[in-house]
Amino acid sequence: MSSDVRFTDFKSDKQPTWCPGCGDFGTMNGMMKALANTGNDPDNTFVVAGIGCSGKIGTYMHSYALHGVHGRALPVGIGVKSANPDLEVMVSGGDGDGYSIGAGHFVHAARRNMDMTYVVMDNRIYGLTKGQFSPTSREDFETSTSPDGPKQSPVNPLALALAADGTFIAQSFSSDAQRHEEIVQQAVEHDGFGFVNVYSPCVTFNDVDTYDYFRDTIVDVEDEDHDPTDRDAAREKITNDTEYQGVIYQDEDSVPYNERHGLDSNMADIPDGAPEDATDLVREFY
Amino acid sequence: MPDDLNWAIGGEAGDGINSTGKIFAQALSRAGRQVFTSKDFASRIRGGYTAYKVRSSTERVESVVDRLDVLIALTQRTVEENMDELHEGSVIIYDGERTMMEDFEAPEGMIDLPVPLKSLAEDAGGAIMQNIVALGAACEIANFPIDNLDEALEKRFGDKGQSIIDNNQEAARLGEEYVQEEYDRDEFGYNIETTDNDYVLLNGDEAIGMGAIAAGCRFYSGYPITPATDVMEYLKGRLERYGGHVMQTEDELSAINMALGAARAGARAMTATSGPGIDLMAETFGLVAQSETPLVICDVMRSGPSTGMPTKQEQGDLNMTLFGGHGEIPRFVVAPTTVSECFHKTIEAFNYAEKYQTPVYLVSDLALAVTEQTFAPEEFDMDAVEIDRGKLVGEDEIDTWLNDSDQFQPHFPAADGISPRTLPGTSGGAHMTTGLEHDELGRRTEEQEVRIEQVDKRNQKVETAKEEEEWDYREFGDSDADTLVLSWGSNEGAMREAIGFLDEADVSVRFISVPYLFPRPDLSDEIEAADDVIVVECNATGQFADVIEHDTLTRLKRVNKYNGVRFKADELAERITEELDTPQEVPT
Repeated sequence: MSSDVRFTDFKSDKQPTWCPGCGDFGTMNGMMKALANTGNDPDNTFVVAGIGCSGKIGTYMHSYALHGVHGRALPVGIGVKSANPDLEVMVSGGDGDGYSIGAGHFVHAARRNMDMTYVVMDNRIYGLTKGQFSPTSREDFETSTSPDGPKQSPVNPLALALAADGTFIAQSFSSDAQRHEEIVQQAVEHDGFGFVNVYSPCVTFNDVDTYDYFRDTIVDVEDEDHDPTDRDAAREKITNDTEYQGVIYQDEDSVPYNERHGLDSNMADIPDGAPEDATDLVREFY
Repeated sequence: MPDDLNWAIGGEAGDGINSTGKIFAQALSRAGRQVFTSKDFASRIRGGYTAYKVRSSTERVESVVDRLDVLIALTQRTVEENMDELHEGSVIIYDGERTMMEDFEAPEGMIDLPVPLKSLAEDAGGAIMQNIVALGAACEIANFPIDNLDEALEKRFGDKGQSIIDNNQEAARLGEEYVQEEYDRDEFGYNIETTDNDYVLLNGDEAIGMGAIAAGCRFYSGYPITPATDVMEYLKGRLERYGGHVMQTEDELSAINMALGAARAGARAMTATSGPGIDLMAETFGLVAQSETPLVICDVMRSGPSTGMPTKQEQGDLNMTLFGGHGEIPRFVVAPTTVSECFHKTIEAFNYAEKYQTPVYLVSDLALAVTEQTFAPEEFDMDAVEIDRGKLVGEDEIDTWLNDSDQFQPHFPAADGISPRTLPGTSGGAHMTTGLEHDELGRRTEEQEVRIEQVDKRNQKVETAKEEEEWDYREFGDSDADTLVLSWGSNEGAMREAIGFLDEADVSVRFISVPYLFPRPDLSDEIEAADDVIVVECNATGQFADVIEHDTLTRLKRVNKYNGVRFKADELAERITEELDTPQEVPT
């Protein structure tokens, strides 16, 4: 790690193919700034992504990265962090990737509490497959596969995370660059699973959850003197219908999985042959 | 073989059948006898017939046979289930005071030996030890020194305190004395020998786990599934001693993706599952190959398809491991043929994975997984273990692999198909990779020329491996025989013993056991040289026969078994002769 890392060092020379105006630009910028602000550099950072618009992030960032299969980015990140706890692991997903196909992994990642950061670009629609409803779409949201609306409740990602004993639960809005950066940075600094759901508007397919909608409705929990260490207060924030940004819940006593299990060595370091005492393993079978 | 002893205990699941069987197997092993065990069990926790069989001899034993000498029957059904294997002189031990057996009378020629198992166990301190009373009785019947059993009980109950050990040893003694008082040992005709040989006793799953540690595996992620779970249970607690970690995941998808993540971070990583789990992992299997990540994926096969028969033997996943996954996926498929080969092939699998940066299927089966077998400890020679990490590039060499813009090229199209690999944390090596088709930098592309270059590059790895490694086979029997028998996986042991039975019928065979399924040895010359070629496998359609026919353009005869039970040596000898032009009677 070097102290003179700038966030642009995390930028690759590839131009994003996200639509002009896509919320994901702002989401990614905040992620890169948060990484740089916390003293990381591309060589000690591992970014994992799934499939969809969010999944492209590894191409546009410069770091060690893996673009995986749909919905499975979290387990990959857990594997990376387990094997080398010196790495800064950041996982990025979308609302479809993370809350539909990957919902099971999300719940287990929250309760497992590995020391890593999970940033979800939530645009409440499937963009890359051209406009179907997603798990976070509103009940009456008309799309190509829901002409009369999905007629089912949207997933509440923050509630899922709280129910699974998530230790850091936050939400941000990609267009509020300053706050988004601060919130992601707090997630990176958190000892444990730092989860940020980011409102990241889709300008092409979602004409409901737009920049204007969020600008007009979003409320910063800091303006309401919210105490993020108060679980009951967090539950109230998560279940009322307000669109919040900020850190909703943080367990300040969080002890991450890797610490609980003593995962403190780089598993890449192995001897040239069997371990010195390996014959003891054979003797166990006498 | 006069010194052979075929012993079994059977009852309901939950009766402690497995632990009793294992204690007896360990007692025999500690007495320098060779042991081979097998289990019949149902897919339930309590209830349902279950049995643990131990065959032992002073000679090497490689399989089960259709013969039982001493049977501890905790239920009437145990006798019924094993009637075909009982013979004149077989001894049946049961609790004469238990109502379920009160009308029991041993069939003609068999020795009916009621022992008050439960009462004697209570005398020793608790009814729970009734199986141990039976073990003591069995020692007397076989004229087997009971101090070997004492040692096995110490090993089994060592962490439960001296009084538990004492009670169990007392229970065994009461069983022994009861038989001494009530019966004349000479009635039984068994007089088994002990030797000074040192043996270790372990099963295939344990051998895979031990091989993984020897090979430097540091991360294991898996979801419990029969019959692969023993791999995880073996590794848990042991892998941690070496700075590694065992992660029980939420599902098989998570298991393979975590292992992939750990492998990308530089750990030697593995997951193990059985057929249904392999199906779930198939998508990520493609990603492993496409991202060129070294990973060992172990499939301990059981009967399929779907949930099939979870606790029964089958070799039905060969096609899945050879061809599974969408698109075309370069891979290696390695299949151990014995418990000890489970150890050796696991080490090889890790080396292939890293050397060629590919997924490696390590294909075992239920018969290997649950078979405990004795080996000379030298068969697990830890000093001989070599670890080859392939083209792992450190900071000192990284400049060689940067392009003009100082970008690391993880998918550089080297002539041998193997690109340099650098681990996260390596300065100057930052790069991405993806399941999408990509260029040499790992970035998505649909350029036709790059697509062809990268596909050829990945496939070239297999071609390079075909040239660099020895994809050989294990051979037994008479190498000049007109009859050639081929098999893969756990059939090797039964077939090796079948050669002996066939010899007695004047049938000479050459037997080739193939541990490499892809790449696999070219068997054209061997097949050409034989009159009859018979392929033995535990599946209905002959998946291995199909691929060998494809390789050699020759029709082969097939001996298949798919009732859920592994081949037995005597049975296999008979099935082989049935395929010959002049079938022979096999004396057993």
